Amino acid sequence: MNVGVAHSSPNPNSGVMNSRGTWLAYAITVGSLHAVLISMPFLSIGLAWTLTNVFHNLAMYVLLHMVKGTPFITPDQGKARLLTYWEQIDHGMQYTTSRKFLTVTPIILYFLASFYTKYEPQHFAVNTVSLMSVLVPKLPQFDRVRIFGINKY
Amino acid sequence: MAGSEQWVLVEMAQAVYEAPAYHLLLEVFLIICIIRLLFFSKSYRPLDRTQLTEAEEEELIREWQPEPLVPANPSPPYLKYHVVSGAAGKFVTVDNRECLNLSSLNFLGFLESPRIKAAALSSLRKYGVGTCGPRGFYGTFDVHLELEMKLASMMATQEAIIYAYGPSAISSAIPAYAKRGDVVFADMAVSLPLQQGLSASRSNIRWFRHNDLDHLETLLKEQAAEDKKNPKKARVVRRFVLVEGIYLNTGNVCPLPELVQLKYRYKFRIFLEESLSFGVLGDTGRGLTEHFGINVEDVDFICSTMENSLATIGGFCCGRSFVIDHQRLSGQGYCFSASLPPLLTVAALEALVMMEEKPEMFKELREQCRLLYDSVQGIPGLTVGGNPVSPVLHIRLAEPSQSRERDMATLEAIIESCAQEGVAVTLARCIEKDEVFPPPPSIRLAVNVELTQGEIHRAAVVLRSAASHHLLE
Repeated sequence: MNVGVAHSSPNPNSGVMNSRGTWLAYAITVGSLHAVLISMPFLSIGLAWTLTNVFHNLAMYVLLHMVKGTPFITPDQGKARLLTYWEQIDHGMQYTTSRKFLTVTPIILYFLASFYTKYEPQHFAVNTVSLMSVLVPKLPQFDRVRIFGINKY
Repeated sequence: MAGSEQWVLVEMAQAVYEAPAYHLLLEVFLIICIIRLLFFSKSYRPLDRTQLTEAEEEELIREWQPEPLVPANPSPPYLKYHVVSGAAGKFVTVDNRECLNLSSLNFLGFLESPRIKAAALSSLRKYGVGTCGPRGFYGTFDVHLELEMKLASMMATQEAIIYAYGPSAISSAIPAYAKRGDVVFADMAVSLPLQQGLSASRSNIRWFRHNDLDHLETLLKEQAAEDKKNPKKARVVRRFVLVEGIYLNTGNVCPLPELVQLKYRYKFRIFLEESLSFGVLGDTGRGLTEHFGINVEDVDFICSTMENSLATIGGFCCGRSFVIDHQRLSGQGYCFSASLPPLLTVAALEALVMMEEKPEMFKELREQCRLLYDSVQGIPGLTVGGNPVSPVLHIRLAEPSQSRERDMATLEAIIESCAQEGVAVTLARCIEKDEVFPPPPSIRLAVNVELTQGEIHRAAVVLRSAASHHLLE
């Protein structure tokens, strides 16, 4: 596929979150996930919120921190082949606007989930573990770090 | 209703009051993190953390040569042209002297074929000159598809792809498959377009000594040992071997059967570049695979220019559909260059038809190659590089001096004497600063199937006398 050949960015992955409408689309997706869960009559409100939080963080971890490379062939001969999507955002620049957005959204979801589960300890445990799993890889100290060689190649 | 809503809100507010301290502390901590992130952090680019090994660092330090602020004058040979007037067929008029042409890589004599010229002219009247577009943008004509099908059927492969310029075929094909992190084992004597393809691929290149499959096996064993230490990495690293059928820089033939055996033992892909062997080796001119009787499917792709045997412009690449189809979107020379002009395509088609009609020409050509090889043996002061079956021979000085310029001047003097006697030969040209391993200076002889035995003998005699004149004084 001849992506990224007509303009300056050889890896289109780096600018996706900066494009017009992606933040809104992201919010709508999370909102609709929550709408589906909250409309299930067998789920209490607290459980629905915890499940929203957990599913969102799981999807975020898999898509941003586990899957590597690009779904297309880039003209830079595979520079990003071993990088996760998070590491490719904005060509590896830290603390850009998109990265801040993606860091803040799981925290906001966590606040909401904590509120609606009435701060119960079981929900606290699940939500906190889930939040940490998605916040820790976003730290700049963890850029391109692979613990125990997992997911390195 | 309003009462129950308020009641729920009161419940919620109560839950906040009764929330455990650790939870509230964590939330306060997260709020502080958000504030710090949003208001007190500046975007920056982290330093590139590519680690070089000791060997790579030493090599970079050793390789670095400071360039002069003002570049030296380009060496005179490039300014001294031998001007050719008229067509460069069997006889060529060089510097107003008509000479027997042993320089052009016109192996099958198609350069002056009236039949090919007629076909090209009629297609010129039909299509015009150029295509004005790349293959993906209204540049695909019926003759292109015809030529691709004909090449595929002739080479007994599934598909073929045409490039508009010979060197861009191989230099686009290699980076389409080999990427960063992959390993390519390349022969040290590969010519410049292959070297450019290798550097464009950004892969790790391991050079093995020319035609030395033992050295290649040593390198493959080293790679296998590395792979064993790191099997997860080995699973994503692709391994290729790049060889030419007949090497332009040396005239030697690649030992393909042993290479195929190595392929199945050490698991790599073979890229075979057949610019000099297509239309030369094999009973019907199919190249090295036919010459050695190897199944063409054992080679992962075969690339060649059409500028030597087929005497037109362009290049092609043939192999399995799965392999070749990838180049239709990833071959940079295919996607981003205008396609081959139809008149040159039709010339190639006609040349292929002529090859099919008269397969005896390949045996004739090989006999003449053998004859030239035997005739130039034993010239005092000169050595012959090349294979008896190769249409290209390299004549080098038996005792080269330390200076490349002096050797080239000596060889130029020999060439000038040959031209005075009516035999046009040439120095093997290369851009020294672009070549990874610049070959030693040599005179390159090229055989043409139209040469008679007498003419080949005469050329050898002329070369012998010119050499004795310039070397034994």
